[in-house]
Amino acid sequence: MIRWNAELAKRLACGDDDRRALGPLIRRFIDLARKARKEGFLALEADATQSDDPLLKVGLRLVAEGIPADTLEDILSTYLLASDEKGWPFLRSCATIEGLLSLSAGDDSDILIRKLVAYYGADRALAVLQELEGNAQ
Amino acid sequence: MTRAITEADWTSPLKAVPVSRQKKDALFELACRVALIAERARSSETASIADDARIERRKVLRFGLELLAQGADQETIELAYGHSASTADLDAGTRLELATLGAGLSAIAAGRHPFIALRRMTAFLGYDYFEKASEWIAAKLRKRRSKGLTLLLPGDFPDLIRNLSLDPRSLERALRGAGWELAVAALAGCAQESIDLVAGFYGPAGGTIFSDDAAWMRGKLSGDEISQAQGEFMTVVKRLESEGELAIGREDAFASDPDFIHELTRAVMSLDDRSLRSVFKDGDSRILALAMQGLEPRAHERILGLLPSRVARRLLDAVDDAAILPRREVLVAGKTLAQAVLAQAALTKSSPRESLESFGKVRDWAEGSVTEKA
Repeated sequence: MIRWNAELAKRLACGDDDRRALGPLIRRFIDLARKARKEGFLALEADATQSDDPLLKVGLRLVAEGIPADTLEDILSTYLLASDEKGWPFLRSCATIEGLLSLSAGDDSDILIRKLVAYYGADRALAVLQELEGNAQ
Repeated sequence: MTRAITEADWTSPLKAVPVSRQKKDALFELACRVALIAERARSSETASIADDARIERRKVLRFGLELLAQGADQETIELAYGHSASTADLDAGTRLELATLGAGLSAIAAGRHPFIALRRMTAFLGYDYFEKASEWIAAKLRKRRSKGLTLLLPGDFPDLIRNLSLDPRSLERALRGAGWELAVAALAGCAQESIDLVAGFYGPAGGTIFSDDAAWMRGKLSGDEISQAQGEFMTVVKRLESEGELAIGREDAFASDPDFIHELTRAVMSLDDRSLRSVFKDGDSRILALAMQGLEPRAHERILGLLPSRVARRLLDAVDDAAILPRREVLVAGKTLAQAVLAQAALTKSSPRESLESFGKVRDWAEGSVTEKA
């Protein structure tokens, strides 16, 4: 069952242009997933060091440490709760957490993409999925 | 959308009212104290928490410790602190303190490792405190040595781990596919050698957490439960193998090559004392420990006898920490040792010719020339 959270929906509200800007983030996660599969998860620590996004930086370190999935989810969402973001930054952070959890579970890029395109909204997800998979091949 | 985000209370985010740096620093110290209490409790169970509760002066922490000592579960702790934090007339600092403590204590109630409880608590303080927590964990790691574990359950599971480790990505995919809880429960029935193989995939902090959790779970789970976890882990491995996600290596890849071991041993035994001492004293202990796996016992005795006791101890520690290597990696480590000896000999020009010829053969040893004895 989907639990509807009105305050969460309000925070997530942003325009189509904002949602389209998720593309580079999804591509980044596809690269990270491929790197983890090829070089191992500890190789992600180098990406953590280079990242300017504090949530991605912390998240990649935790993914490399391999901590249990539910705890990883709790920790990352606490960072989000403590940062009080709204609109586009909030949407981006939610997608970042989803991507980090998928990465940690060892999902391949097909599954990862499907989890992340949902953040475009149901009406655009399919078109974006086709576009991303076309580029990925 | 993830569960933790959809279930969070977004009507009262923690940053709505700012909390001073001093307060956050004090909360960080409190979080470290809770992690230390959790660490003690892991070794002596609830008796230690009851002792800590008795002497604790901070009421909000004492309340939670008493709950833990009485055996409260994660949900009870979350409810207790969640209700307190939602009281309208609390100032922001107190709300943050309750949220931080509630997260840490509920993590302990759920059986989480003290380092994970610390990560959980410091997340409430913001990104700056992630590094502080990492430094605190690193300082703790520097003070400890891994504890040796004895094999609990005989069976094929350690062989499966060792064979998977021939392709590190295969073992890593199996671990991620199984998930932390199942991997820890399955490895709880294995010797330290298997746990070390796995822990290496999680880095220093994650690896220590994994080893500690496996040791801790050994006391919590029955033999049947561990066997069941190993069976479930094997099911995950078989599924991933059928999907082409991983490959299980062949046992004979660990069979040693007697010709290579004989040649490397001959090279070491014929090298002069001074050169041998210099290479092992100044070299990387880890690499040298791996190369030791390619030497006969008489070479071990000679090397350790030549070294100062402090250096010999360091080398023995590294040997203890090293997993049994596949033949190919023993070959690489032996070649690295040979290169180091030859590079040194080129500078000093004092090593015996017979020894250098042997080291030259080792350095140029082709993998294809390895004798198959499997």
